[in-house]
Amino acid sequence: MPRYGFVIDLKRCYGCYSCQVACKAANHTPQGIDWARCVPTETGKFPAALRQMVPLICQQCAEPACMTVCPTGATTQDENGIVHVDKDLCMGCKSCIMACPYGARQTVDEWQAYFPDAEGDMDPYESYAKARWEEKNGYGMATKCDYCMDRVKEGRQPACVESCPAKARHFGDLEDPEDEVSILIRRERGFQLNPEFGTDPSCYYLPPR
Amino acid sequence: MKRYFSFLWQCGRISFVGGWRYHTWMTVLTILSLIGLYAYCQQLVHGLVTTGMTDQVSWGLYIANFTFLVGMAAAAAMLVIPVYVYRNMQLYDVVVFGELLAVSVIIMCLMFVTVDLGRPDRFLHMLQRFNFPISMLTWDVLALTGYLLLNLHICGYLIYCSYCGREPSKAFYIPFVFIAIVWAISIHTVTAFLYVGLGGRPFWNSAIIAPRFLASAFAAGPAFIILTLQIVRRYTRHRVNDDSLLTLRRIVQVAMIINAFLLGCEVFTEFYTDSAHSASAHYLFLGLHGRSGLVPWIWTAIVFNLVATVLFVLPASRALRTLNIACILAVLGIWIEKGMGLIIPAFVPTPLGEIVEYVPTAHEIMVCVGIWAFGLLLYTVFVRISVPVLAGELTHEKRYGEPARRVQGVQSS
Repeated sequence: MPRYGFVIDLKRCYGCYSCQVACKAANHTPQGIDWARCVPTETGKFPAALRQMVPLICQQCAEPACMTVCPTGATTQDENGIVHVDKDLCMGCKSCIMACPYGARQTVDEWQAYFPDAEGDMDPYESYAKARWEEKNGYGMATKCDYCMDRVKEGRQPACVESCPAKARHFGDLEDPEDEVSILIRRERGFQLNPEFGTDPSCYYLPPR
Repeated sequence: MKRYFSFLWQCGRISFVGGWRYHTWMTVLTILSLIGLYAYCQQLVHGLVTTGMTDQVSWGLYIANFTFLVGMAAAAAMLVIPVYVYRNMQLYDVVVFGELLAVSVIIMCLMFVTVDLGRPDRFLHMLQRFNFPISMLTWDVLALTGYLLLNLHICGYLIYCSYCGREPSKAFYIPFVFIAIVWAISIHTVTAFLYVGLGGRPFWNSAIIAPRFLASAFAAGPAFIILTLQIVRRYTRHRVNDDSLLTLRRIVQVAMIINAFLLGCEVFTEFYTDSAHSASAHYLFLGLHGRSGLVPWIWTAIVFNLVATVLFVLPASRALRTLNIACILAVLGIWIEKGMGLIIPAFVPTPLGEIVEYVPTAHEIMVCVGIWAFGLLLYTVFVRISVPVLAGELTHEKRYGEPARRVQGVQSS
C-alpha cells in the first residue's frame, strides 16, 4: 500500500498563491476556507531579513492528533495514510481543530456568497459550488484536505500540485524509495514541520537556500 | 410508588409558592432563560456563525463557562468530605445544598457543551459510536453524567426520606457518597486533561493545570455556597449556624492561598524561561504585538483574587458582611481566570503564528446569560423544595394525614 505524501520545495516557492486558488476551485471551498494555504513569514532584522513563503496543507500525519481526540470516531485514517472526516458522523465538537498542531482543519457554518446580485442570489457557478460543497462536506462539521483523493484515484495529481508554476510541490508515495518524493527527501534533506509534536507528518519540506 | 408521585407533585407545587421576592426573582430568571432560548434558536438556524468564534479561536465563551462550572460542581465534594470523612457534623445540615448545587451546575455544563456543538442534532452519534478509551471527550461525558446521576440519587434519596419522615438507610446512600467524592475530583481532572492532552497548544501543556483547576474549584464552589447559605438563612426559616459558614470560610481560605501559589508557579515558569511557547502567556498578561484584548480581564481577575485571598486570611472576614464581599470577589475572579483567562489565550497565537482576537457576539452572551439564568432557576427551585422538606415542615404525613412507618428522627432538624 502506498503512503501518499507531499514534498514542498521552499526554495522554489515564490508565493503566487496558485495552490490556494486551485484548491478552492477543485474542492469548492467557501469563503474564508483554504485547505491549501500560503503563509508569508518573516525572520531577522533589516540587512539580514528573510521573507519566506510557507505553503501549508493537511500534513496527513501517521499518528494524527485529531484522530485520537475525536469522540465519535468520525475521523479515520485509510490504508494510504490519508485522514478523512466522515461527514455523517461528525457532530462539530471542534476537538480536532484544537488538537491539530498545523491548523489544518476548519469548520463552515454558513455559505457566504462571493458575488451576490441585488437580490442576494448567487450566479450559477457559485450555486454549483455550493451544491457540491453541501454534497461532499456540509455545514457545522470539521472539514479538511484529503490530498484530492478523487483526482488521485483517477490517476491525476492533486490540484495544487498540477497548478504550481514553480514546480515547488511534488506528490507521491513515501514508501517507495524510487519515487520522486522519496528521492527528493533523501537528496535535499527534507524535513517535517514541527516534528516535536510526534505526529510524523506525511508532508515534507525542502529547506530554503 | 404512589407516595413517590405525591412527593414529585408536592415538589412541583411548592416551587410555585413563595413571597413577592421569590416570584420576582423567578420571573426575571424565566425571562432571561427565554431570551437565551431565543438566541440559541437563532444559532440553530444560522449555525455558529452567530457567535464570535472563528477557525483560529474555535472554543469561546461557552467552553470558558463550562470549565468554570465543572469546578463549581466538583466543589460539592468539599462539603461532603468534612461531613462524611472527618465527621464534622456542623456542616451536615448544609451538605445537601452543595449536592443540589452540583446537580444544577452539571446540567448547566451539559447545556454549555451542547450549545457549542456545530451539529447538535448529531449529539447521539457520541453515544452510538463511542470512541471510548482514546478520546478524552468521551471520558468527560461519562464523568459528568455519572456525577449528575450520583448527586441526583444522593440528594433525591435524602429529601425523599425526609418527606416520608423516615430515617434514610445508610446502605442506600453512604457508598454513593464516597464514590461521589472520588468522582468529583475526577470530573475536574478529566476536564483538565481534555485541554492538557492537546499537543499543539503549549499554553495548556502544563502538568499544573489539573491541580490549578481543583484549587480554584474548591475556592469558587464553597464561596458560592456561602453566598447561597446567607440568602437561605436570611429569607427562610432554615437554621444555618455561623459555625458552618466559618468552616466553609476556612476551606475557601486554604484553597485561595493554594490557588494564588499555583498561579505564581505558572507565571514564573512562563515568564522566566520566556521561550517561544510562552507567547500565549504574554498575550494574556501583557498583550502581544499590540493586541491586548484579555489584559484588562486577567488583571481584574488577579486583583479580585488577591483581594479576596487577603480578606479571607484576615480575621475581618469572620464578620459575615466582609465574608460576603470576599466570596463575591473570589467567584468573579475565578470565573474570569478559569474561563476567558484559560481558554482563549491558548489559541492566540495559533500554532501557525496568526493572532486573531476573540470577541463574543451579543448572541453568544445572550445564550450564556440564558443558561446561567436557567441554572440559577433550577437551583432556586431545588433549594425552595429542600428547605421545608428537610426542616420537616412538608412531609407526607402532614400533607395527607397518613401515618409514616417510622417517625423517629427527622434527619435534618
